[in-house]
Formats: sequence, structure tokens, C-alpha cells
Amino acid sequence: MSIDFISDEQREALQEVANIGMGQAGASIAQVLGEFVELSIPQIRAVAAAEIPAALAALAGDGVASAVRQAFIGELRGEAIVIFSEHSAHDLAELLCYGDALDTPASRELLLDIGNVLVGACLGGIAGLLQTEIGFSAPSLLADQVATRQLIQAETIAARCALLVEVRFGLEKRAFRCHLVMLMPDDAVAALQRALDRFIEEL
Amino acid sequence: MSVSVLVVDDSAMARKMLIRALPADWDISITQASNGVEALSRYRQGGVDVIFLDLTMPEMDGYQVLEALRREDLNCLVIVVSADIQEAAQARVRAMGAIAFIKKPVDPVRIQAVLKEYGLLL
Repeated sequence: MSIDFISDEQREALQEVANIGMGQAGASIAQVLGEFVELSIPQIRAVAAAEIPAALAALAGDGVASAVRQAFIGELRGEAIVIFSEHSAHDLAELLCYGDALDTPASRELLLDIGNVLVGACLGGIAGLLQTEIGFSAPSLLADQVATRQLIQAETIAARCALLVEVRFGLEKRAFRCHLVMLMPDDAVAALQRALDRFIEEL
Repeated sequence: MSVSVLVVDDSAMARKMLIRALPADWDISITQASNGVEALSRYRQGGVDVIFLDLTMPEMDGYQVLEALRREDLNCLVIVVSADIQEAAQARVRAMGAIAFIKKPVDPVRIQAVLKEYGLLL
């Protein structure tokens, strides 16, 4: 795959809009959870479809994790995946005072809700900056406490390769950690590039 | 007299966005730094009046820069410019000596208001 998937200038613009989107998402969950959220520097790279499961595992680290997914549509098109580290659901339950009442369905519901808040705020922020409309599918559970290498199956990915944008959220006082990954298939990248070029021109 | 402004952000694009948003009639000379280490080294050379400081940066982040400036007896005005818009982040940087917090994407009207409030702009 070409290293010139997007130009350096487009990459830099995408990194900055992702940074702003991440900040909005971080502020949203900080408010929901009442905790200070630590943010990362957004990472962007092109990944061949066959390499996506390994790329997600590399982000999530060893051990088990859960993931929720949401498709996004519009000029920007792709999949948003939020990967939650093993004990994240437990941390969320404690913070939101579910206490011991948290059963498996409720814990899944919690991940779907928090994932939805993060994706809506982050991608909504990015779309706003790029002055384009974005729509989302309902969130669904992609993986439930599986080994990080099995979060996604390569054969379920239709694209040849994808642009991967990753941001990370952690809580200062807890183990909770999650990664928001945007995967944009190769045939959606041209539209993204046009949107980024418009953004750059207006600077 | 011209005001010496230091713009600190790891993203060249973000620095450009900020510089474009500064008032056109503000008499300034601008230097730039792409992380906290570079920023401090420029600051220690002296003569910096105002720093526009990003928080999330590699090498040394904005919080560490504020900490170092405080240790070294801060005598310039620091305006934090960040995408991390949590209220707790805003409170933290103010407690660490920043005079203001400006959210990204930067709003020229908000920048102007902050500069006027501190007498940096008439």
C-alpha cells in the first residue's frame, strides 16, 4: 500500500480535526462520569484489511477487551469502533453507581451508551469542522470480553485497505481505558481528502 | 512597542490556525515551538511577553511547561489553547498560572476579548 494514501498536509489537518473531536468527546464523558479524562495524541495510518485485527490488538494491548461498533455515513464514511479494556465496564458501573446490580446485559448496555457518546461527540466534532453532515447507525456489540486479536475478523472487512485514526481516553484515577478507532475504507478516502482540502483552503 | 509572542503546538496546522486568528492590528513578533522543550528553551532566552500554549504535546506537555515556568519565576502571560475542553482542565491550568483558556477551534473574537482584558490590545 502506498505511503501517500493521503498527503502530509491532509494528514496534519486530519490529525488536528481529530484532536478537536477527541477533546469534545473527552469533555462529554468527563461530564457523564464526573472524572478527569486523559487524552492522547491522535494517530493516523493506512492499514491493509488483513492487518486490521492485528492493528487493533496492538492498540488494545494484551489480554481481553470488548468493543462496540457504529457505522457512519455521509461524505465521511466508515466504521467507528470503541475498544474497552477488560475492567472498563466494571469501572463505569461503579462511577455511575450501578453497584452490584450490574448484570451482563446491563454492562453491555453501558458500553454501548458510553461508546455512543464518544463516537457522536468525536465524529460529530470532526464533521462539524469539515463542514459536512454525518449520520450514524445504532451502536452494536462487536466483541464481548475476547482476546484482543479477535476483536474483529479480517474476512468481515470488505475494503482492501483502510485509513485508521485512533484516539485514546483514560481516567486519571482508574484503570478504565478505551480507544476510539475510525476506519475509513480506501474507496471513501477520496471524499475525505476533498473535505480536508476544503478545510485547508479556508485556513 | 512590539509584543513578543511565542506559539507552542506540536501541530503546524494548529499554529497556523492560531496565528491567523490573532488580531490583524496587533503589533507583534511571532516565534514558534513544536513542543514544551523547545518552548522553554526559547523562553529562557528571554524577551517573551505572551505564550500561546497547547496542552497535549509529545516530549513535554503544556502542564509540564506551566510547572517549569512557575519554578523559574514566571514573568510572561500564558494563554492555554487546547482541544481538551474539560472544565477540570481549564481549572487546572488557571491554578498553574495561565491567565486564560481558549478552546480549539480558536475563535478570533474570544482571543481579542482576552487580549483586551489583560491590556495587551487597546
